[in-house]
Amino acid sequence: MGIGPSTKETTKHYFEDPMVKAFADDPDIDFCGIIIVGTPQDNRMKHLVGQRTAVWLEGMNCSGAVISADGWGNSDVDFMNTMEQIGRRDISVIGLKFIGRQAKFVVENEYTRQVLDINKSAAGIETEVIGENAVAAVDAVKALAAIKLVMRKDHQRT
Amino acid sequence: MRGEPLKIRVFHMKEVTVGNYFYLEADRLIIPDHVACQNPDIEQLTIQVLPPHHHDVRTNTIMDIIPLSAKVLGLMGTGITHTLTGVCVVLCGAIRDGEQMHEFGSTEGILHENMKWNCAGTPKKEDYIILIDMLAKKDCILTRKLCLEMFALADRFIQGIRELLKIMDGRDAVETHVYEEKSHPGKPRVAIVKQVAGQGAMYDTLVFPQEPGGFAGGISIIDMNNMPVLLTANEFRDGALRAMV
Repeated sequence: MGIGPSTKETTKHYFEDPMVKAFADDPDIDFCGIIIVGTPQDNRMKHLVGQRTAVWLEGMNCSGAVISADGWGNSDVDFMNTMEQIGRRDISVIGLKFIGRQAKFVVENEYTRQVLDINKSAAGIETEVIGENAVAAVDAVKALAAIKLVMRKDHQRT
Repeated sequence: MRGEPLKIRVFHMKEVTVGNYFYLEADRLIIPDHVACQNPDIEQLTIQVLPPHHHDVRTNTIMDIIPLSAKVLGLMGTGITHTLTGVCVVLCGAIRDGEQMHEFGSTEGILHENMKWNCAGTPKKEDYIILIDMLAKKDCILTRKLCLEMFALADRFIQGIRELLKIMDGRDAVETHVYEEKSHPGKPRVAIVKQVAGQGAMYDTLVFPQEPGGFAGGISIIDMNNMPVLLTANEFRDGALRAMV
């Protein structure tokens, strides 16, 4: 498993990224930037890159992070590990990933329920139609609202 | 740097046609339908212009959709960038009698059936499409090297358009967007983490190409051991990331 046509983000998608559009200009948050992290093959590296991402967010003094992935399957290991590493440092976290009916998590942890589904196909599957399930403006707005709520909740708890 | 604005000037193409050489006006683009290719692995390379709503064309799997954008002044994320709307490149590829150039899920077939139009990352139905379709020689193997060669070849062709785009008169732009990165002190600090592909053939991502959304000069996340890289919002808007999935 990897990145299917319906979830894949093309270079054009990066160029007009809905997430950056929604987050960069929101006056209710202090936007820190975008961390790009890969998906290595071996387990040690999978854990290491997730940990380095979280260390970086902590160093940047972030209260919240939204992690998105355009693939599913094996890359869930990286995804859930990075979420856990972020959460462990008391940084609020929201995930954004294709789930539908087809892509149940390969691995789960306490942060699984904080992952929003980007599926938009009626059948909930990888439709092999470019762009159909990829992150859209509506997903970005949902993620922005969700991270604000989770940050508020986490803040009240401490 | 914070406080340095990024200015993106937009030129909207009302007509794109095929000719003998590259030619660009404020609202019109001509491209050649061939590119010099000395690559021994590539057997056939076709370049077509699909007019708006004429997408009933059979293609190999869609490898990428690439915006036409060029850096005019300054480093990535600052200065001036020129970009074309109304047109984009759709890059397709396969190996003769062999595999389609994909890692997971193929989209070969009739173009309009394999694309959800007007989405983030896909063209509008009203757009012109420059369709670059490549066929590698029979018995080639789908390796990372072959993928990179195809992306490089397409990029060399697109550079012909970029060179003309760089010297367009900014006063002919139909829109100018100025992006400034603003801090909002006192508000909660939030970052985006993007997990991208980084394992091999058609599962790769480049950062920092020389041109926005380009290929040449880009550094593969695989070659950086998939380690995290921090981009500013303006660097991202200026095409610092290039998909190769």
